[in-house]
Amino acid sequence: MQAPPVDVKQLSKRYKNGVWANREISLTVEPGELLGILGPNGAGKTTLVRQITTELIPTSGEVRVFGIDAVANYNEAKGYMGVMPQEAQLYYGLSVRHHLRIFGKLRGLSGRMAARRAEELIADLRLEEHRHKRADELSGGLKRRLLIGIAALADPPLMVLDEPSAGLDPEARHDLWDLLLGYRRQGSTVLLTTHNMEEAEVLCDRVGIIQDGRLLALDTVDNLKAGHGFAYKITFDADARTETLYGASDRELVAQVQAKGIRQYAVARTTLEDVYLGLTRDKRTLDEDGAS
Amino acid sequence: MDDSPRQSGDRLNRNLNTTGGLYRTGGVTKFMSDAVSVFEINLLSTLRQWYLMVLLAAAFPIPWFYVTKAIAPDDPAVVRRLLAGTLVFGVAMSIGMLVGQNAVAQRFMGNLKLLITMPVSKGAYVLGTLAYSSISGVITVVMLLGFGFAAGVDVNITWGLIPSLLLTVLTMAGLTMFVVSFAPTLQVGNISTALLALVLAALSPVYFTMEQAPLLLKALGYVSPLRYAADGITKSLSGRTDILVELAVLAGFALVSMSLGLWRLPWREE
Repeated sequence: MQAPPVDVKQLSKRYKNGVWANREISLTVEPGELLGILGPNGAGKTTLVRQITTELIPTSGEVRVFGIDAVANYNEAKGYMGVMPQEAQLYYGLSVRHHLRIFGKLRGLSGRMAARRAEELIADLRLEEHRHKRADELSGGLKRRLLIGIAALADPPLMVLDEPSAGLDPEARHDLWDLLLGYRRQGSTVLLTTHNMEEAEVLCDRVGIIQDGRLLALDTVDNLKAGHGFAYKITFDADARTETLYGASDRELVAQVQAKGIRQYAVARTTLEDVYLGLTRDKRTLDEDGAS
Repeated sequence: MDDSPRQSGDRLNRNLNTTGGLYRTGGVTKFMSDAVSVFEINLLSTLRQWYLMVLLAAAFPIPWFYVTKAIAPDDPAVVRRLLAGTLVFGVAMSIGMLVGQNAVAQRFMGNLKLLITMPVSKGAYVLGTLAYSSISGVITVVMLLGFGFAAGVDVNITWGLIPSLLLTVLTMAGLTMFVVSFAPTLQVGNISTALLALVLAALSPVYFTMEQAPLLLKALGYVSPLRYAADGITKSLSGRTDILVELAVLAGFALVSMSLGLWRLPWREE
């Protein structure tokens, strides 16, 4: 049986300044799925990804990539991954074609294969008219596209992308989504981080919600909504302020509000953002109870 | 949402089948190929401004040698020492500046983050960077020796010149990588780089012998690799081959400084 693309067990990371960025995270990325890690800035998403991509050594726990111990055999594990780090920069003096050809060789392709793959990717990424442009002459969206191309160079079975759409305009973001869905259709497993709820909802087969370094939930968006009793929400005005109630059934919510004598309200299906806010607020309440 | 079939296993198997084990992630061939790729990245990044490389290599050492030769006594041994000292100074400065600035820029500009996502070893990265940085050193050596010949300096070059220069390059590169690894910012890194090469070259007895050095510089001379480099190169320009002691000491410095530099290079973060 094939080992899962990513298998993380009890992963914790404590930085030298004493901050715990990840605490006992366990998750498995299934073959061929597009899994999103969702959380606010500073939640621990990038730390988790950097440990999976072998850049950061864990404090404790285990990371396996296709069954390979990514902590001990990091170079071997890297051979199975295409990675786009959050703060990576292109070499500004190099053209698009130079980037793809040289990084193809660094990835392990022969010179001839790297040159051929560079041409394929220039076409796939619709970068034909930019092939000889230097990286500093590209727009933000084109730079992201090129970085994704570098991650996809060796046709890797696993792609790990840290906030690939950060800072992109809506059009560039949708282009990026099409690209990622294309890679998944071709058979790649994709693990990405985002703090964009829409992106997670539109793109991901499963979503993990992370806060304060802990994985609060991991499931499909539908299951997250249903499993936490948040399938519907009702919004109404009471005592001069707007209130929102969540529930599994829209009828029950309406009955509940009508029982209070309220006649003006709005019912809607919950979004991932509602689930996220509900989960993280629950977590905060629990922490505060524990602290007191 | 797209519900296409999940084929990650197929993709993995396809890649395994076509390449006999996914792609190369180790081995001597991969190591050398990676070093060439790193060299190529650096070279292509500065190729349009090639004249800066030549200026860095020649702008300081040649006028400096010209001036010192003009005011020095007309003694072939003294002039050879000045030529050797300028060679050491020029090579140390250009290697120190290029290796240091490269390391600092790649670290703080985010290029290194991209590079280390690839299955590339630290050693291959350093070798490629060193090969690129050495271009400037080679230009310094060729131009200075050419100028020396043209100016009628009495030199008789032996085989010891090349190992002496190579070990000087390795020592300066390792020391620079070690020192700049402590830099908290890009600016501090650049200042440290310039300072290291300048102070080390200026304070070491490279333009004069240990016997001629004032007391303080004599003390520094015993622990400075550049003094042994200058001694070895002076002998190599004088037709002598009795430089095994200098080469052995320089090799020791190169080994220690490269080990320290490689150890401190931020490849995987703790």
